[in-house]
Amino acid sequence: MRILLVEDDEQLVETTARALRSQGWVVDCSARGEPVPRSLREDAYDLLILDIGLAGIDGFETLRRVRAEGLAVPVLILTARDAVEDRVRGLEGGADDYLVKPFALTELVARARALVRRSQARTSNQLQLARLRIDQEARRAYLDGEPLPLSAREWDVLGFLMTRAGKVVPKEHIALASNAWEQGVSDNAIEVCLSRLRAKIEPGGVRLRTVRGLGYLLEEIG
Amino acid sequence: MLTAWGRSHIAKAGRLGSGPALGPQVAERLRSSLHRRLFGWLLLPLLVVLPVLGTALYRQVQHSAQSWLDDGLEDTALTLAGQIDLRGGTPRIDISVTMDRALRFDRQDDVFYVVLAPGGEVLQGDAGLVELRPLPPPQPAGSVHYGDVRLRGRELRLVQLGRDCGDGACQVLVAETLHKREALQREITTFVALNGVALALLLALAAGWAIRQGLAPLTDLSTELERRDLHRLTPLAARLPRELAPLQAAFNRLFERLNRASEAQREFLADAAHQLRTPLTSLQTEIELALLEPHDPRVDPLLQRLRQRVVRSARLAQQLLSLARAEDRSVDLGQRIDLRDIATESGQDWAHRPLPAGVDLGFELAEAPALGHAFLLRELLENLIHNAVSYAGAGARITVRCGSAPDGPWLEVEDNGPGIPAAERPAALLRFRRGDQATGTGTGLGLAIAADIAARHGGRLALLDAHGGPGLRARLSLPPVG
Repeated sequence: MRILLVEDDEQLVETTARALRSQGWVVDCSARGEPVPRSLREDAYDLLILDIGLAGIDGFETLRRVRAEGLAVPVLILTARDAVEDRVRGLEGGADDYLVKPFALTELVARARALVRRSQARTSNQLQLARLRIDQEARRAYLDGEPLPLSAREWDVLGFLMTRAGKVVPKEHIALASNAWEQGVSDNAIEVCLSRLRAKIEPGGVRLRTVRGLGYLLEEIG
Repeated sequence: MLTAWGRSHIAKAGRLGSGPALGPQVAERLRSSLHRRLFGWLLLPLLVVLPVLGTALYRQVQHSAQSWLDDGLEDTALTLAGQIDLRGGTPRIDISVTMDRALRFDRQDDVFYVVLAPGGEVLQGDAGLVELRPLPPPQPAGSVHYGDVRLRGRELRLVQLGRDCGDGACQVLVAETLHKREALQREITTFVALNGVALALLLALAAGWAIRQGLAPLTDLSTELERRDLHRLTPLAARLPRELAPLQAAFNRLFERLNRASEAQREFLADAAHQLRTPLTSLQTEIELALLEPHDPRVDPLLQRLRQRVVRSARLAQQLLSLARAEDRSVDLGQRIDLRDIATESGQDWAHRPLPAGVDLGFELAEAPALGHAFLLRELLENLIHNAVSYAGAGARITVRCGSAPDGPWLEVEDNGPGIPAAERPAALLRFRRGDQATGTGTGLGLAIAADIAARHGGRLALLDAHGGPGLRARLSLPPVG
């Protein structure tokens, strides 16, 4: 996986790049926003990590130019400005996610991975989370390369959660994930399905966590 | 230092921005005084001119009426003079009873007359009339004299004329009481006064109306001004008369300067956040990287402690900025928001954060539409959750709830930790006050910030007992919407 990191604080670039490289990813760095569109055109990057507070043109402007050129690379914004207006501005400007400084490295890595996964899901039918892989076209799941037997409902729910990995998904949304459920399915039925699914996928280094009152979160065990 | 500067800056800007409180007062004073002055200057000449005009009119009418009545009196005198018979050498006069009655006939007044020979003997009439004072000198023939006289305490109007009687002039004196004249005078006075007052009132009304019309653009201007605050400093768009255009332009320039100042302040806040956060981020990243990469396991506790300290410093910087922002008068607290959305967003973030062992963070959310500032309320909730996570201890069960009560939307964070004794709760809302048993990553600012933000929204942060058993329940109540 290849990442373009645009950040003008040398220290932060150094540590962040090292952390990303430790995941086995290739990281190129730039301190300014101007050359970004060209770099993205010339090399196939899987992700752009973009700081807002840059010298020269800022992150918003850089993002605008990137999108204006029709470049569809996923963009993760790093910002020290946490005003809601800034977040909204970033997301409306075509960013896919944002992270407010200071952030934990693990969170940066998780978000980067989720973004790339989501963008790959748009272009390919294969989704990978730790040692769990699904093929959306074949409607098959694999654990360590071995086919994982799943019921139709379980498959629907897993596919739904995989495309939203790293996000807390409300139970009501999960109820809509499967056509195999008639309307007005009981909470209980969903929970039974989820707990069976949980038992099947957890050996693959992923975890299906319950956030009480909010929903379910599919994540890698970090 | 940076933060202190920022705060004093904000406080000043806040004062500048207290337009709504200042506006109506100034506008009212301006309006009433202008009103009074214009009214005064318009009515003052009127008050001088009207009595002068009234008096002149009164005199004129009075004079005309007087001479008309005097003419009547003179006619009587001429009639009498015509009756003087000079044929016998000595003047004689003979007035029949009928004629006497005709001469004396008057509906309101008593008429007296006397005809005197040139020597002064009474030829005919009321002899008593010669006692009137002041008695005018005898008039030469053909001449007429009018005068106001008194006779035994009564005021009379007199006409005296001389008539040629051979070797001198006979004197004909006719006098009448003043009832008719007085009645006429009263009538004229009333007429002139009433008309004068009516005219004055009419003119005052007209002046008042004209002034209000003339000043209406100023009232419009103050209404426009009232709609401005630091958050909405759009140029004034009222269509004002030429004379007010410079004022409008001056206001618009002032708004522009204020806009720039408040923009500079927002920039400052953003820059301060950036300046503080970027080095803290790289420090935190450095430590986390050291933890991830191969290292001597003996330094592990040290790295963990360092990491915790950095996280806490970052949090403190963040909170000081929030505090500055909570006091920033330019933030718009009237956004339509739902506390449920705010809590959900917070929940998404917390789901990714490492919690102390066994801490269970859960949510029970219902719709709670409210008016407020999304970022500040998010920060408030963040502080309440942080507080619960920091102080409730390992294995704590923390629940975030929100909903709508008849008295307004509410949001609460409940934990089953040790809680805060009722007596210490007010102090817990003060800045940099940490509880006695406090450990962990708390900064001592969280509840104070939450209370500040609640107060800014016209709401209240209450520290209550948990619903069942020990623990703390921090509850935000906001005013109802609309």
